[in-house]
Amino acid sequence: MAHVVLRNLVKTYGPHTAVNNVSLTVNDGEFVALVGPSGCGKTTTLNLVAGLIPITSGDISIGDRVVNDVDPKNRDIAMVFQNYALYPQKTVYKNLAFPLQMRRLPRDEIDRKVKEAARVLDMTHLLERKPRELSGGQQQRVALGRALVRDPAVFLMDEPLSNLDAKLRVQMRSEIKRFHQDLEATIIYVTHDQLEAVTMADKMAVMNGGFLQQYDSPAQVFNHPVNMFVASFIGSPAMSLIPLEASSANGRTVLTGEEGWSIELSPHNARKVERSTTKKVVLGARHSTIKLSTSPVPGAIPAKAYTVEPTGDITFVQALLSGAVVNISVPPTMPVAPDQPIWLEFDQERMHLFDGATEMALEAD
Amino acid sequence: MTSMPSNVATRPRKSIDGWRWVGRLFLALMLFYTAVPMIWMLITSIKSGFAAMQFPPQWWPNEPTLASYYKLLDPTSSVGNDFLRFFWNSLFVSVSTTILAVIVAVPAAYAFSRFDFPGRKFLFFTVLLRNMFPAVIFLVPLFILMRLLGLVNTHGSLVLTYLTFGLPLAIWLLKGFYDNIPHQLEQAARIDGASRFQAFILIVMPLSAPGIIATAIYSFIGAWNEYIFAYTFLNKNDQLTLPIGIQRFFSENTTDFPGLMAASFMMSVPVVVLFLLLQRYFVRALTEGAVKH
Ligand SMILES: Nc1ncnc2c1ncn2[C@@H]1O[C@H](COP(=O)(O)OP(=O)(O)OP(=O)(O)O)[C@@H](O)[C@H]1O
Ligand SMILES: [Mg+2]
Repeated sequence: MAHVVLRNLVKTYGPHTAVNNVSLTVNDGEFVALVGPSGCGKTTTLNLVAGLIPITSGDISIGDRVVNDVDPKNRDIAMVFQNYALYPQKTVYKNLAFPLQMRRLPRDEIDRKVKEAARVLDMTHLLERKPRELSGGQQQRVALGRALVRDPAVFLMDEPLSNLDAKLRVQMRSEIKRFHQDLEATIIYVTHDQLEAVTMADKMAVMNGGFLQQYDSPAQVFNHPVNMFVASFIGSPAMSLIPLEASSANGRTVLTGEEGWSIELSPHNARKVERSTTKKVVLGARHSTIKLSTSPVPGAIPAKAYTVEPTGDITFVQALLSGAVVNISVPPTMPVAPDQPIWLEFDQERMHLFDGATEMALEAD
Repeated sequence: MTSMPSNVATRPRKSIDGWRWVGRLFLALMLFYTAVPMIWMLITSIKSGFAAMQFPPQWWPNEPTLASYYKLLDPTSSVGNDFLRFFWNSLFVSVSTTILAVIVAVPAAYAFSRFDFPGRKFLFFTVLLRNMFPAVIFLVPLFILMRLLGLVNTHGSLVLTYLTFGLPLAIWLLKGFYDNIPHQLEQAARIDGASRFQAFILIVMPLSAPGIIATAIYSFIGAWNEYIFAYTFLNKNDQLTLPIGIQRFFSENTTDFPGLMAASFMMSVPVVVLFLLLQRYFVRALTEGAVKH
């Protein structure tokens, strides 16, 4: 096991920069989830760590060794590819055995390890099949197995669960997590699925457009997003971001919406707004931090329910405020119908404020 | 409710069946067209010299005989001696061409497919450029070149020439194969502990085996059947390849049709055997990439 350090990592393809000045440290035994929208450079970052594509500039170390010019086979890593990359001409058994054969392990040890991996991944009955005779989910498990049979310093996984059905995914998730805990393995794990990232990872690295946006624990990323991108990307349904106009008079700071309503900010939040580079401030609120009433409440913002989506144990109500869609969750027992007037209150303690120009989170100190 | 959808379902099937029969008829005609000369060649080869000249022809010889074959395969007779030598000459030239074509085409195609080196597009274009001209155009220039290299009247001149013509298509065909093999397979192999070369040998080569076999067959047949260049570059009787040899020694003697046919038949044996053995791969090579998998 080993730690991994990326220093000012850059990868360009012609004029396009796929990975832009990314620096991060993955500690020994840590599980890091790499998340971000499609095309943001997750796979490219993983390929750089694996040594499959040359670095444009920057440094990568695995353990205490700078590996910029080290061949992939000598980096002591295992990787699960986004599209599996199983060897089509080999049986499942031989796919799993290949990395061990290349490392010249004795035959009986290879056999033991392959069978053990097959048992853990519940595919003992598939060992003699060729990859094309497997379902997508089974192929994915073989791809995972090929990484797990080895004992590398670092595991790189590119969306290893993306093609499994919901049940198998939950099962494999706990399987990988247990594997991580048992082996104290260092894992860099790319995923689209936030729930996967939040439930499995020690740390989350959020990327966008080749830039690393935020690198922190899932709770920290969720509760203290550094900018509007992270705020809207993490959490489902997305955090509502409402553009407002800030103004201060007589020591009171208020935010005013397009429709003319305003909220007075707590002194703590007022100090945040003072740091904004412009009068335009964006208010961010998660669905669970907005209180919805169906009758007038003093100080609450009047709005109209736009859509109502019952999901079973929570009902999501959408409303329009200042041109932005606001998501609110209410208990399913609350009677809300589309077009019905509603009143909204924001929780001052749990609201987020962003600079309207830089899109960065505003902090009080 | 049930009758209408079934009507809708059967009608297109009927018209597909109709087309299928048209297709079969067409294939049967093509088969007839290609097979009849071959069958006639075989029948003539087992006739006596006299029977072969008769008119109207005997559809099936009254006295079938393998005499022509015995004569050709008998190393003690002068005809047999010549024939066997030509046969070995052809085999030597064709096998050398094939081996060299594979040795050169495999890495070249792989490089064109995988590596981004300066001038890659231009080089690939020039490889194909050769195929835009008829081969005969190169007859005189290549003859002059061979004379400069001192290769006239050697089999080397033919091998070199056949490579000139065979390699472009071989490289092009194989490049298509490598393009269809996902990069990730090699990447996976390299992470699993293979060097770049091992990843190529252990993972990519087996996957491109059908393409390599198709390339080999293509090169072999091209070399085996070639006439014009062999006719121009070789003069010494003991170096001739089969196509020239057959033509020459049968026009020297009075035309011995059964002998000529028997020789032609035996000349086609290696090609037919190759096809039968490797047909599976050949078909796969030509249809590979048609369906995304
Ligand atoms: N070989 C390449 N040549 C040119 N551009 C590339 C190449 N590989 C990737 N890119 C570009 O780099 C960017 C990042 O790609 P990457 O595959 O890392 O995205 P990703 O975050 O893994 O996306 P996804 O979630 O869809 O897998 C994309 O804009 C992509 O188009
Ligand atoms: Mg990707």
